[in-house]
Amino acid sequence: MMRKHIWTALTLTLLLLGLAACAALDSGLDLPLRHLSADDLGEQPTTCTNCHEARGEKLAFGNFNHTATWGQDHRQQAYQQEAVCSMCHQTSFCNDCHATRVELKPSLKNQTDTKRQMPHRGDYLTRHRIDGQVDPTSCFRCHGNPKAAQTCARCHG
Amino acid sequence: MVMKKSLQCLFWVGLLGGLLLPCQTLAAEVSFQSDTIIRGFERNTVTQTDAGVVPVYEYLQVDAGTLDEPGLAFHLYGWGRLDLADNGYFTDETAGELLYGYLEYSQAQARFNARLGRQSIFEGVANEVVDGLRLSSDLGRYFSGSVYAGQPAALAEENGRDGDSIFGGRLANHVAGYYDLGVSYKKIRSDSSDAEELAGVDLSLYLPAAVTLSGFSSYNLDSEDFAEHSYQANLKLGPVSLRPFVQFFQYDDYFGTATSPSPFSFLAGTGEELTIYGADFTLPAQEAWLLTAKAKHYDYEVLDDSSNFVSAQVSWSGAGLTQVGGELGYMNSDVAQIDYVLVRLFGYCDQVKEILPVDFVSGDLVYVGYDQKIYNDDSSLFVSLGVGKTYLDNSLKLKLSGDYSSDPYFDNDLRGMLTASYLFDRSL
Repeated sequence: MMRKHIWTALTLTLLLLGLAACAALDSGLDLPLRHLSADDLGEQPTTCTNCHEARGEKLAFGNFNHTATWGQDHRQQAYQQEAVCSMCHQTSFCNDCHATRVELKPSLKNQTDTKRQMPHRGDYLTRHRIDGQVDPTSCFRCHGNPKAAQTCARCHG
Repeated sequence: MVMKKSLQCLFWVGLLGGLLLPCQTLAAEVSFQSDTIIRGFERNTVTQTDAGVVPVYEYLQVDAGTLDEPGLAFHLYGWGRLDLADNGYFTDETAGELLYGYLEYSQAQARFNARLGRQSIFEGVANEVVDGLRLSSDLGRYFSGSVYAGQPAALAEENGRDGDSIFGGRLANHVAGYYDLGVSYKKIRSDSSDAEELAGVDLSLYLPAAVTLSGFSSYNLDSEDFAEHSYQANLKLGPVSLRPFVQFFQYDDYFGTATSPSPFSFLAGTGEELTIYGADFTLPAQEAWLLTAKAKHYDYEVLDDSSNFVSAQVSWSGAGLTQVGGELGYMNSDVAQIDYVLVRLFGYCDQVKEILPVDFVSGDLVYVGYDQKIYNDDSSLFVSLGVGKTYLDNSLKLKLSGDYSSDPYFDNDLRGMLTASYLFDRSL
């Protein structure tokens, strides 16, 4: 067991040293830390291709256009380019839906933001009986950890 | 109790650190946002009928340091709830959670980034909140990588934190305009026992004719089989955007990652395999109009059954954030043995200052009709109306909403909510 820990620590240390060494090299993407805000631009910067090439030299900006279905299908972009998300969004923005534990469902915390496609609009207490059986994998993604599952535990034990 | 004290301690230390940090950094900014939410509704409790419930939620966010430029920064976000009525509706009179609180150092060269503290990690196979350290950087022109290690926050209340650990990382290879390819790994130990070990690969392939193929697969190293494959294509056919997708889940390997008994645990023993395929379709028309349609088919290997969901949505966008729209959806669920039709109408208008003493009005109506009764009711009706106004040069925003629901769980449920959002932002 001790040997396994030593190997793990050694691997992590090597990775850290490698990261530190390579951090001095060129950057492939060279993106800024923050994007210009809506106040700076005079509009919400939700359609990247209004200003950037869909297949830009730094990034495939077309993949980050916040289309009408973006709320349901941005997982791939976040998995691969979290740094691009953080150019415009604080983690608190993501935490409305993705968090260890919250009591207010996303559409309730943002009740008046009807223009946003927030999940669980309306009486989801009834609807989740059906959606949960149809595709429990989508429930598990947010409610799978012990803290987040406290929402389910009140009825499901 | 010890955990609560630790969290409170972390919260106050974090807050103090956040307030002191600007004094130590150049070109520092401090940003403070408070969202206070007061709700009111009635519920039957063990001792009372139609007892008033008045929870107050406070969401607090503090950001300090060089927020828009590379350098040192501190970020904190959490929420707390107090039940003013205290009549037994909530299990605990108070509740709360520190969602994140970390120090961050970033530099422009190679996009090096280091975070220390409680943080969300969402990359590759990781969708975790970790109390620990994360380092990420570009590794030359064509590679980037990240590593993290610490304790998973989600396990904090599962037999204490002794023996809990998490570590992992992601290595990516990318050529801008051609592809992004990543491999990731995550291991969680709970109470000194192996709890979860996943490896994954993610890919975005930028093909000619504006076609993008992307997706990921995750492999459960404990059960030694794939948990998930999710892949999609993004195509542009003139003004039409099309997104066909396919997903495949093996329940034993997907739900077998649960770190403690949960409502999903039983699914890990069913041997079920779920295949989902379908497409999204988006058509903008005359700039202001947008038509969206979606079709999803669910196929269950063990149950030898299937379900289908189709929906269409049309919306019109005006000046500012004004938008009105409607959605019609239909779920044909063999597996749940209940079908439903969903109708939603929604509207938001921020061009009302000349006719109303508010900055915006919003409305939402959701009707769901079920083909079989649930608790002697075969429909749900939800209606919400809201207004909002900003004060103090947009620093203070007040939002008031009221909603009504008549559904299988509540006959005539009226609820109210007042939200006060205050933003303080200053360069130091």
